[in-house]
Order: sequence, then structure tokens, then C-alpha cells
Amino acid sequence: MFRYLPEQASEMAPKVDWIHNVITDLSVFFTVAIVGSMIYFAIRYREKPGRRHDTPQIEGSHALELIWTIVPTIICIFIGYYSVAYYRELRAVPEHALTINAWGQKWKWDFQYTDGIKREVTGEMVVPVGQPIKVVLRSRDVLHSFFIPSMRVKSDALPGKFTYVSFTPVKTGTYQAFCTEYCGKDHSAMLAKVKVVSQDEYARWSNDDSEQKMKGRVSPEERGKLLYQQKGCNACHALSDTKIVGPSWFKLFGRQGKFTDGTAYKADENYIEESIYNPNLHIVEGYAPNQMPAYTGQLSKDDIGDLIAFIKTIDGSNASAAPVAAVAVAVDLEKMSPVERGKYYYENKLCKTCHSLDGSPLVGPSLKGSYGRTVKLADGSEVVSDDAYLKESILAPMAKVVAGYPPAMPAGLLTEKEIPDLIEFLKTVK
Amino acid sequence: MSHSDSAHSDWKLGDPPIVHHMDSHTAYDAARLGMWLFLATEILLFGGLFAAYLFYHWMYFAEFHHASKSLNWQLGGLNTIVLLFSSYLAVMAVDSVKLGKSEKAYKYLMATIGCGFIFLIIKAFEYHAKYSHGLFPGMDTFNSEAHQVEYKMFFGLYFCMTALHAFHVILGMGLLLWAALKVRAGHFSSKYYTPVEVGALYWHLVDLIWIYLFPLLYLVG
Amino acid sequence: MSGQHNSGQGEASTGEPKNYLNWDTSIWGWLTTVDHKRIALMYLFSILIFFFVGGLAALIMRTELMHAGGQFLTPQQYNVMFTLHGALMIFLFVVPGIPATMGNFLLPLMIGAKDVAFPKLNLISYYIYVAGALIACFALMNPLDQWADTGWTFYAPYSIESGGSVVLMTFAAFVLGFSSILTGLNFVVTIHKLRAPGMTWDRLPVFVWATYATAVIQTLATPVVGITLLLLIMERLFGVGVFDPKLGGDPVLYEHFFWFYSHPVVYIMVLPAFGVVGEIIPVFSRKPIFGYKAVVYASIAIAAVGFLVWAHHMFVAGISDYSAIYFSVITFGVAIPTAVKVFNWVSTMYKGSIRFTTPMLYAMGFVFLFMIAGTTGIYLAVLAVDVYYHDTYFVVAHFHYTIQGGAVIGLMAALYFWFPKMTGKMYNDTVGKIAWVFVFVGFNLTFLPQFKLGMMGMPRRYFDYLPEFESLHTVSTYGAFLNAFGYTFALVNLLYAWIFSKRKASENPWESLSLEWKTPSPPPHDNFTEPVIVTEWTYGYGTPVEGGKH
Repeated sequence: MFRYLPEQASEMAPKVDWIHNVITDLSVFFTVAIVGSMIYFAIRYREKPGRRHDTPQIEGSHALELIWTIVPTIICIFIGYYSVAYYRELRAVPEHALTINAWGQKWKWDFQYTDGIKREVTGEMVVPVGQPIKVVLRSRDVLHSFFIPSMRVKSDALPGKFTYVSFTPVKTGTYQAFCTEYCGKDHSAMLAKVKVVSQDEYARWSNDDSEQKMKGRVSPEERGKLLYQQKGCNACHALSDTKIVGPSWFKLFGRQGKFTDGTAYKADENYIEESIYNPNLHIVEGYAPNQMPAYTGQLSKDDIGDLIAFIKTIDGSNASAAPVAAVAVAVDLEKMSPVERGKYYYENKLCKTCHSLDGSPLVGPSLKGSYGRTVKLADGSEVVSDDAYLKESILAPMAKVVAGYPPAMPAGLLTEKEIPDLIEFLKTVK
Repeated sequence: MSHSDSAHSDWKLGDPPIVHHMDSHTAYDAARLGMWLFLATEILLFGGLFAAYLFYHWMYFAEFHHASKSLNWQLGGLNTIVLLFSSYLAVMAVDSVKLGKSEKAYKYLMATIGCGFIFLIIKAFEYHAKYSHGLFPGMDTFNSEAHQVEYKMFFGLYFCMTALHAFHVILGMGLLLWAALKVRAGHFSSKYYTPVEVGALYWHLVDLIWIYLFPLLYLVG
Repeated sequence: MSGQHNSGQGEASTGEPKNYLNWDTSIWGWLTTVDHKRIALMYLFSILIFFFVGGLAALIMRTELMHAGGQFLTPQQYNVMFTLHGALMIFLFVVPGIPATMGNFLLPLMIGAKDVAFPKLNLISYYIYVAGALIACFALMNPLDQWADTGWTFYAPYSIESGGSVVLMTFAAFVLGFSSILTGLNFVVTIHKLRAPGMTWDRLPVFVWATYATAVIQTLATPVVGITLLLLIMERLFGVGVFDPKLGGDPVLYEHFFWFYSHPVVYIMVLPAFGVVGEIIPVFSRKPIFGYKAVVYASIAIAAVGFLVWAHHMFVAGISDYSAIYFSVITFGVAIPTAVKVFNWVSTMYKGSIRFTTPMLYAMGFVFLFMIAGTTGIYLAVLAVDVYYHDTYFVVAHFHYTIQGGAVIGLMAALYFWFPKMTGKMYNDTVGKIAWVFVFVGFNLTFLPQFKLGMMGMPRRYFDYLPEFESLHTVSTYGAFLNAFGYTFALVNLLYAWIFSKRKASENPWESLSLEWKTPSPPPHDNFTEPVIVTEWTYGYGTPVEGGKH
């Protein structure tokens, strides 16, 4: 009776619906039983006009009170068990879940893909069928709430904190998503679609970056990387597995460890945000407190989202931009000229994170005109930037540090075999 | 206080007022219970502010500590002493009126009110100091980017809590003043002193709240 | 002090015995009265004004929603309408609701007192209510588009940046809170101190018990919403950023504070209605209330547990999974005493001698509607299901079944039951029953379709909706008009009887054993003509039988 819930499109939907329908059946049973007996008593014991019959002065019954306290209690315990059990399943995020960032903003939903591919789309989220999905929610203004009825998931999107919904779509199709937290004038127009497609179609969709190019927009990861340099994060946090002042960002996302006060942490979105806005609240074991300034006012919530996107790319796969390479057409290095290969290394082996090509100093010196110039080192000596110097700078960056730059470059970004190609490329950057 | 009912013709000033719906003993009990309940609501009113303060204190520990240090704990401490002393005076006022010593009770009440004034004046100096540093909520300097939001959060809460408390000090002073004037006019005696007692109860609450506010804002930081 | 008014001025012109209505009929006499019965009537007329204004706002909304797409409102105007409907109905109608009207009128009568403990404070509470109401009206002086558009919940940060006249509306709610606090305080002291000799705690009518539980909640929960709304005002006026994430604040903290009050407030609305039903069913069944002690303890339990479950309004608001689990489990604790109450009401009718008067019909209607309200509440306590239902029409339907089906139907039952006592007149019972049919059918026609809408996933507070929701919305709109007509009809029936009816009510037309019926209708100014001494339980209906006492 009363089975009006929409299509079951996620793995959890049948379970949610099961307990829902159990409650429905129990409710109908008890409502009919109680209201039925009330109506029965009302008719059976009704007063004939003017003729009141004798009524017994029954004040109650301990036995009955006990029964109708205990029976509802047992039912509540039964339902309560499933309340908790299924909720925990609903909230559990599988290890290999695909993460999509959803930003609520008056009155639209933006979906950022940073996991494996880089896309930003508005109003329609595309997900592969059978793949566990984690939608990380955030609001750019007021409260919103992300609701996909067919997946049986919902969570508010807050301006101050990350929240998430997690589901595994089991059927392809297009499903409606709503904003369910009142957010002003066009609240009712703040809709989105969730398009569940086959794995193949998803792969095609994710490779199709024409839209991205057309927008000419910098992806969140790239902005995150830029912020990493501009805001001085790089001074203390390495991207390789080395300890500078603060913990390295290498494989940071999802890392687990302990704070100095002994409590455990897991590096998720909220941990990262707290570390940026309120760095001294918790200190990771093995590091000194009060080293890092609070970035409140300097980094917006959007900035932090971008930084997190960037951090996720430093996941140990061989280079920061690897996710793109992985899904893009395979790069055939063999067929490239040495200069092209060098450029490829520059772009994909982290060089460009700290070294510009246009003369502007980032963390490290710009590579514009780097070949053949004379550089002043931190110890006051001067050296000509030739093949040997450049090779040494890449293999053992700390040996000769240019004056005015921090000793911040990790070693081992390129192999010895790759270096000549990079130098060939550098020669072209004048 | 004209009472037309002839049965009450032996009523004289200083006796409990005659109300039609309960006897004077019940009226005394009811007034005290009513005031206790009212104090409970006041504590819950401040409870919301305390909860918010503790929450943000936990979130922004370092900034709150830093901001708290800019408060003048000597002035805050002085105010604590002033209020504690005023509570003692209020107790003495109730004691005196119970013993029928109206004149003494009047003096004690006025002294209590005087302490309230001293408290407010010291508070005004503290406010002025913050105002001249541009740390008053609503000022352009406060809302500008010049201060960290956590810092502003501390002062926002500081002003909300102390201003609400100061408002209660003023209410309490009004209540005690009303009681004092009636004491002087001879309305109270050892038979009837309910307003003095509930007024003093209210004053103790004002004192109690400050005793929590002072360490939270000035010392714990 | 307050002894000065009881003689001299009022002159009963017709030679009728003097009662609370005719001892001083001047406007001034009414406006300065400290008589709890007159204050009750003044509250009643005031809240009914807002019941109709709030109802009008609801009809405007329902008309807009009759078909998909914009009908005659802009989205902004629609948002303003549901805010107005919610704020007026909650703060100005249902929260004062039964306690301020029936509670004020009946509480002293039922315990054999001459008035409440603090009659002047009672009048002050009323004027604070009026002040709050005027501030709310003042907030409506702006052009329609600038009325508050935040919903009655005033959620931050939207309420901080919304252009509407939120500050005034919030301030009105703040002021109204104080009226509620003082009324509650007055009732608690009255019940503790002014019971007549012999009116022991275990003889108190269940309505008094329910009012007591309600009064405790009013006193203890309301200050928290007071400070919350005050902080919101500080936020808007001075930039104190307690709830604004831009200023380092936390909007979820606002939700916690808000629901810490606004969940218990649900019991402020509905507990007195439980009390009303507990009075009406025994009288028209000629049986003692079944399980008196269980009914009383259930009221206390609901009030107590009601303080511990607030965050079940926030399961998807970004609270931690563990607090969600805690609040879900505790919420089931409210279901059990509520179920106990329903079982006891129905058992009271067993082997009774049942009379179908209008108040009895309302009481039975209440049991049916409350069964639906209660069972649909279970869905919302279950986390996995609430994640789906939160902020959908299912919730809208559920809380209308509790608030309208509970509190408003309870108020209607109370008005029809105690009308003879309040006015000294009898109304037309047949017309009352016909009106009841409109109310009952209209109500269910409005809100049953909304359960289905919620099941289908329709979110609330939507100006426009997808085409598949249209037919149910249309039915719901028809129901709303029927419902509104029913209420108007029912209340006009009473008003007509009061003004024009020639049928005088006897002292005790329903043959009740409760104290308020042992005094003339309407009661004299001091409630009773002779001193009250209680010697027996309130519910000794029927013939004593073997094993009847437990």
C-alpha cells in the first residue's frame, strides 16, 4: 500500500525503500486498528437519545499499559536498528569512489570533476553506471541542499564547510536533482540533472574537452597550483615526500595520522580547510606549533576548493598532471623532437610549478633565457648556467641555490636520460 | 491603595497588600517561586551566548586568547569586586527590612544601587577604550578588513554579552530603586518585604552572571 | 493592589446575576482587566485575527500552486507569502494558541482558584503579545516585495543578506517570546501555589497537567530562541558575525539554537490539545479517563524528552553522523509516550455511553489525524528515510497534521466544549457538526495529497514545480478552500450563537465532574460563588465495578 517512491536508481534505494515500506505497513495497520476500534466503540456504545446506559467505572489497567508501552518500544527498537544501520551504509564512501565537487550558488549547481579528468559543468552531472560516486558539496553563498530522489540521497551544501552525498548508480538514465534548502527568489528553479551513462560513454564524455577549451578557463587544479606558489605554501610544504617546515603535500589527501594531542586525523576536505584557516588548532605529530599564519581573509573558500583539487593531483602517480595524460590520447614521446619532449617534461614533470617561462620569478628562478646566463648563488659566488650546471640543479637542487630563492626544490623530478631534452627546450626559451 | 472591602478595614501601611485571589503567605511563596523561575529563564537567555562563546573559543582558540589579552583584566577584576560587594549590601538590605529597620534597609539599597553605578562607569571606560581602537561592532573600522574575523568574533561576542549584562544591571538598579523608595515610604515591615527580597534575588543573578562572564572573557581568553 | 476593582463600577443593567462578562462592560474595563477570563477572551480574538490573516496567506499560496508555472504571483511574492503564513501561524496563532486562551480561562477554574498567581503580569503578557503583533504588522508596511522572505525559520546566512524586513519580523518574534515566557511562568506558579484545598496533584485534571508541562517548556525553551533572534539582529545591524560564515560564524550553530527552542515549541502547541482531548472523551463517554497516571506521565515524558531531540530537524544539515544517530535514537523516545496516550484515549470509550456532540466529533477527529501525524513522524525519525524526506512535501504534510490536526483541531474542540461556560449560551450543535465535516474533509483533502507529493520527491518552498506534480497540487488547493470554509463556518456558528442565541447554557450542560462546571455559566468575577473544597477525583464517571480501580 502507498508505494509512491520514485525509481530505484542507486544501490541503497531498495534498502531505504524496504524500511520505508515496513514503516508504511506498520503505520497503516496501527492506524486502522486504533481508529477502527475507536469507531467501533463509538457505534457499539453510542447513547440512544435520552437513554443513557450504565457505564463501568474502569480507571485503567496496569497490564494493558504495560503491553502498549512495551510493544511500541519493541517496534521502535526494530525500526531504530535499521534507521542507524542503513544510515551508516548511506554515508559510507567506498574506497574507489569517484569524487565530484558540486558547488551550490544562487541558483545553479556547478559540478567540478577533478578525479581523473578535469571538467566543470553546470546543471548536469554525468556519472558512470556502477561506479560509486562521492559528491562533495559546498555553497558559494547561502545554504542549499542537494537532493537526488532516485538515488535517495540528500545533504545540505554549506558556505562554511564541506559535506557530501555518496551513492552508486545502478541504472543508466537521466535523473532529477533539486535544491531542497530554501535559498531565495529562484529556489524552485535551482534544478539539475544527473545523467547516469555507461562506462564507455563516460570515457568518451570525459575525453571530450572541447567544452573546456572553449571556455578557456583555468581548471581548479591549475588555479590551486598557482595559489600554492603565490601564497607561499611552497615555502613550507613540499610536493615530494620530503619534510620542510610543515608536512609534505605528497599523497596528502586521505592521509591518516596523529596530532600532537594524540587524536587521530584523516586528511579530508574539512581537515585541509581547518589547517589553512586555523592552522594552530591541531598540529601534526612531529611538527612545531605556531609556524603557520592563518590564511583567513587571504584565501577564499573557492581558493581552498582549488587547492584541494590541486592536492588531490599529488597522489603519487608519476606527475601532477598525470590524470589528464592518463585519459588523454597516449603521448608518444618517441615520435617527438628533443625540444618537444623537453617541453613536455617541463609541463608534466612539475617544473612549471615553480619556474616560469616569461621571466617572472615564482618559487624558483624563471627559465626564460636560463641557458647561458650568469647567475648569482646564495653563497655570493657566480656561475654560468651551462649544461653541467642545469643538470646538477635538477639532480641535486640544494647544491647551488640561486640568491634570493628558498632552498625548496625536490630532487629526482627528472631522470638523467630526460635532462638533455629539457636543456634543448630551455635553449629555445629566450 | 484603597480597599473598599470593609472586612479589610484594619489594613495599615506595612502590612501585606490584600489581593482577592490568595492569602498573603501564598502570595509571598508565589512571588519567590515566580522570581526563581524568571531567573532560570535569564540564565537560559545568557546560556545561548555562553554556548556560542564556548563554541567559537574552541574553534578560534589562539585568536580568542590574543583578543582576550587586550582586555583590561584589572578593571574587570575591580568590577567583579564591586558587584560582589553590592550583593553583600543587598543581603544586608533584606536582613534589615526583615527586622523592620526600614531606614537602614533604605541606605543599604541605595548603596547597592551606587555600586551598580560604579560598575557601569568602569564598564563605560572599558567600552570607550575599545571604541577608540575602532573595535566596536557596527563601526566602519570594525567591519573593515583590518581585523581578522576571529578577532572580530571575540569582540562581537564580548560586546553582546557585556551589553546584555549591563542592560540587566540597569534593570536591577531600577527594580531596587523602586523597592528603596517604597521602603522609605514605609510600605514594608517585618510582615511584608517581598519586593525587597525578590529584587535582591534578581540582583544576585546579575552578580552571578558577571562572575561567569569575567573569567570567560578576561582570564580564560 | 488588585483588590480595588471588584465592586462599585460594574452595573448589570438587566438584573441578571453579575458575571465576568457583564460586571463592567466599558472598553476601559476590558483593556485594564486583570481577570484571567477576560484576558483569555482578548487573546482569543487577537489570535483568531492572525489565524485568518495567516490562512489567507495560505490560500494565496495554494492558489498560486494550483497549476504548474507562475499563476499570478512572482517567485519573490510567493516566498513572502509562505514566510508570512508560517511566521503568523506559529508565533501569533499556534504558540499562544490553546495555553493563552483556554489555559488562561480554565486553569484557575479547574484547580479552584480565583485567578492566576500574577493577574497583572498576565495582562502585561497580553500587551507584550499585542506589541509583538504590532511590530509584525509594522514589518508589513513595506511594499510586498520587501516583506521578510526567509521562511519562518530565519535560517542564516540567507536571513542576514536577504533584503526583506527581516529585522522587524525577527524582533516581533523576540518580543512575542517574552509574552510566552511570562504566561508560562504565571501558569507554573499558579499550579504550584493556588490549588484549592483537596486539589492534590493526583486529582488534577489532565488538561491542567498538560498545561503544566507546556508552561515548563514555554519558560525554559523560549529564552534560547530569544537570544538567537537577538544575535541575528546584532548580525544584521552591527556585523557581529556569530552565524555568518563570511565573518567566521557557523550557520549550523544557528540551526542548533533555533531548533533547541523550535522543537520543544511543537509540544507547546500540541500538549494542551492532548489535554483538551483528555477532558472531552471521558465526559462524552461517561467513563473515567483510562490510565490517568499513564496519561499524565506521558505528558511529562513528552515535555522532557522533547528537549533532547532538536537536531532531528538537522539530519542532512551537515551535523556529524554520530550526532545524527544520537538524535534519531532519542527521537523514538517521543513516539512511545505519544502512542500510550492514544491507546488510553481510545480505551476510555470502551463500554462507554457515547454522545456525538460537536466537541466529541472534534476529539475523535483529533485521534484520527494525530495517528497519521504520529506514524508519519516515525518515517522522519528514521535516518535513512529522513534523508529522503527532509524538506519535501512529506514534511509539510506531517507537521500540518500535528499542528493543524493537533493544535488547531484541539482548539476547535476546546472552543466547542467550553463555549457554554465562556459565554453562557448554547450554540447550534447540528450546524457545528456540518461545519466539522467541512473542516475534516477539507483538511485531509489538502494534506493527504501532499504526503504523496513528498513520496514522489517534491521539495517544499517551491514556487514552481515539475508537471508530474500538478494534479496532486490541484486537489490540495481545492482541499485548502474547503478547509478554510469549514473553519469560517464553524467559528461563525459560535459567534452567531454568542450574539444572537436565546438559549442560555446551564451551569453544567455536559454533566461534567470537573470543577469549572460547578460554577454558573458564565462564571462570576471571582470564579466561584462559595469556597471550593475538593474531596474527590475529577473523573469518577459511571458505576463503580469490581476490579475497576487499579
